[in-house]
Amino acid sequence: MLSIKNLHASVEGKEILKGINLEIKAGEVHAIMGPNGSGKSTLSQVLAGNEAFEVTDGEVLLNGENLLEQETEERAREGIFLAFQYPVEIPGVSNLQFLRTAVNAMRKHRGEEEMNAAEFMKLAKEVSKQVDLDPAFLKRGVNEGFSGGEKKRNEIMQALLLQPQLAILDETDSGLDIDALKVVSDGVNALRSDDRAILMVTHYQRLLNHIVPDHVHVLAGGRIIKSGGRELALELEERGYGWLGIKDADEATPAS
Amino acid sequence: MKPAPTLSSAFLKPAGDFLPAPLLELRQQRGAALADMPLPTRKTENWKYSSRYLKLSDELATSLPTTGKHGTALAAPGHHVVFRNGVMVPEASDFPDTNGVTIKRFADLTDDEARELAERLDNTLDANAVQLARLNSARFEDGLLIRLAPDAVLEHPLFIISETDAHVSGSAYPRIYVDAGRHSQATLVEEYIANGAEPVMVNAVSEFVLAEGAQITSVRLSAEGENVQHVGATGVRQAAHSRFDSHCVGFGGPMRRHDLQVRLEESGANCRLNGVVVTQGRQHYDNHTVIEHVAPHCDSEETYRNIAAGQSHAVFNGRIHIHQDAQKSNANMSNKNLLLSTGAEIDTKPELEIYADDVKCAHGATVGQLNEESIFYLVSRGIDRRNARTLLTMAFINELIEQIPVEAVRETAQARLNHFIDQTFEEA
Ligand SMILES: Nc1ncnc2c1ncn2[C@@H]1O[C@H](COP(=O)(O)OP(=O)(O)O)[C@@H](O)[C@H]1O
Ligand SMILES: [Mg+2]
Repeated sequence: MLSIKNLHASVEGKEILKGINLEIKAGEVHAIMGPNGSGKSTLSQVLAGNEAFEVTDGEVLLNGENLLEQETEERAREGIFLAFQYPVEIPGVSNLQFLRTAVNAMRKHRGEEEMNAAEFMKLAKEVSKQVDLDPAFLKRGVNEGFSGGEKKRNEIMQALLLQPQLAILDETDSGLDIDALKVVSDGVNALRSDDRAILMVTHYQRLLNHIVPDHVHVLAGGRIIKSGGRELALELEERGYGWLGIKDADEATPAS
Repeated sequence: MKPAPTLSSAFLKPAGDFLPAPLLELRQQRGAALADMPLPTRKTENWKYSSRYLKLSDELATSLPTTGKHGTALAAPGHHVVFRNGVMVPEASDFPDTNGVTIKRFADLTDDEARELAERLDNTLDANAVQLARLNSARFEDGLLIRLAPDAVLEHPLFIISETDAHVSGSAYPRIYVDAGRHSQATLVEEYIANGAEPVMVNAVSEFVLAEGAQITSVRLSAEGENVQHVGATGVRQAAHSRFDSHCVGFGGPMRRHDLQVRLEESGANCRLNGVVVTQGRQHYDNHTVIEHVAPHCDSEETYRNIAAGQSHAVFNGRIHIHQDAQKSNANMSNKNLLLSTGAEIDTKPELEIYADDVKCAHGATVGQLNEESIFYLVSRGIDRRNARTLLTMAFINELIEQIPVEAVRETAQARLNHFIDQTFEEA
C-alpha cells in the first residue's frame, strides 16, 4: 500500500530525514519508535504533506501513485490520515462544523451524497461515544480548551469518521492516563482491517501492549536503524535505546 | 506653503425648506459656523490614516433629489421607515402603533416640538472630534424623531432604511434622534444602502439619549457601493443604569468613516459596542470610537474585528476616557484584525486616558494572518483550501455576527459576507 524509498527531508535547510525506506502492506500495523528528535513527527508530517518540510530526495508511493506530487487535501481524500502529535486549536469553528465539512469533502470525492446536518449529528454522536467524548464537545471550537487527552480522542474520532486507508498516529498515546489509553487503543483497534494499514509513531512501548504491531522499526538520526517484530518493542522497553548505540535525549534531560 | 484646504462654500447650501422654522434656523446657524472649516489632512490626528480617501469635489455638494421611486428594503418582521436621500418616504413607511412610542419625521413636527428638538440636536457629539459629521446639522432636510415614553416597550425592531439614490452626483444627510424615556426599551436597526453608480456622499448622524434604566439596542449595517463615500456619526448619552448595545457591521468602500461616541454619565450605565468591518479591493473603512466614563460604577465592553483583503485599508481607533470621578469603572476593549493579503493594511490604535485610580481597564489589539498550521490541519482532513480559509475567516467574526439580536440583519450580513468571501478568495 505505502512504499517509502530513500526519503530525505529538511526543515529550514537542516536535513532531518536521511534516507527512510519502509514498506507497509494493507492490513498491517507498523510501529515506529525512536528517541525524541529522531524525526518521527517529521516523517508523519511529510507523509501528510506539510509544506514546512522540504522533500529533497526519494519517493513515496501510495497504491502505486506518487504521493509527494499531491496536495495535502488530495492525499487525505486518497486515504491518508494523520493524527497530530499536537492537534491544532481553532476557536470560532465548531467541531461539528469542522467534522461535517471534512466528512462531506470525502464523500463528495467518492461521488457520494453529502450528509445533511441532522444525519451527520446522529453519526457524530455515535462516534463521540465510541471514543468516550461527551457530545457537548461537538459544539465547542475545534480542540478549543480540550485537555491533552481530549484532543487525542478527538483525533481518533476523526479517524473513525473518515475511515482512512492509512492512519498515521503520531504519539497518540502521549499524555493519556490508563483509562484514556484504553479508549484510544480500542478506537485504533476498531480501525484495524484487512484493507487498511496503521503506522503508529511512539516514544514509549506501552501503547503496543494494547495495539499489537506486526512490525517495529527504530528511527534514529533520521534513519531506520533496526526493524523487527513486536519483540523488538519489548526489548526497547527493557534496555532503552542505549544498546543500539543511540542516545535518548529523554534519558539525558527531562522530557520537554 | 499651500494653504490648508477648507470646506467649499458649495457645501453650505442646504435644500429641503419644508422643515419647521426652528430647525431651518438651526441649520443656518450650524452652516455659518462651518464657513472656512479646515478639511482633514494627513496631519489631522483623527484623520491621519483616512484623509487621503476623502474626495469632497463640488459635484458632491448638491443635495440629491428626493423624488422618484424607492428601492427594496430589508423584508423582515418589524416596522419599517424608509428614508430616500435623507427624506422620509411615507408610502414606504409604517410606524408602530405602540402605546408610549411617538415616531415623527422632522418635517411633521410642530414648531414647539421642533424648537425643543433644535435645542437638543448635536448635544451627544463632541463637535471637535466629528468635524465632517457637523455638516449634517447644516444640511439635513428631514429626519426621524423617536420618543419613547417612560416604560414604553417597542416589541419588534424598528428598521430605518436609509437608501441613497445615486443616479446623479450629490449628497444626502440622513438624521435620527432617539429620546428613550426611563425604563423604555427598543431595538433600532439602521441600514444604509444605495442604488445607482454616480459618485455621492452620505453624511448620516444618529443620536441616542437614554434616561435612567432605558435599554436600547442599536444595529447599524453600512453596505453602500463603490461610488458612495460615507461619513457617519453616532452619539450616545446614558443616564443611570441604562444599557446601550451596539452592533455595527460595515462593508468597505471608497471612503467609510463612522464615529461612535458614548458618554456614561450616571452611575450604573453600561454599554456594549460590537463592530465588524470587512474590506477588499481598494476599499477603506475607518471606525473611531470614544467611550467617556464620566460617572462611577459604569461598565463598557467593546469588541471590534476588522478583516482586510486585497489592497484595502481598515482603521480602528478606540478611545476610553475615564474621568476623575469615575471610580469603579470597568472598561474592556478588544480589537483584533485579520489581514488576508500582503497588500492590505490595518491601523489600530487603542487610546486610554485614565484619571481615576480605582478602575478595571483592559485592552488588547492584535493584527495577524490566517494561521498556516490551522489551514494545514483542516486540509489534512480533505477540506479544500478555499473552504479552509473561509472557515477560518468566518471564525474570526462568527461570534459577533451571532450576537446581533435581529435575525434579518444576521442573514443580510451573512449573505454579504459570503459575497465578500467569494470575491476575496477568487482574487487570491
Ligand atoms: N518546524 C521546525 N523547524 C525547525 N526544526 C524542526 C522543526 N520541526 C522539527 N524540527 C527539528 O527536527 C528534528 C526532528 O524533530 P521531530 O520530527 O519532531 O522528532 P520526533 O517527533 O522524533 O521527536 C528535531 O531536531 C527538531 O528540532
Ligand atoms: Mg514528535
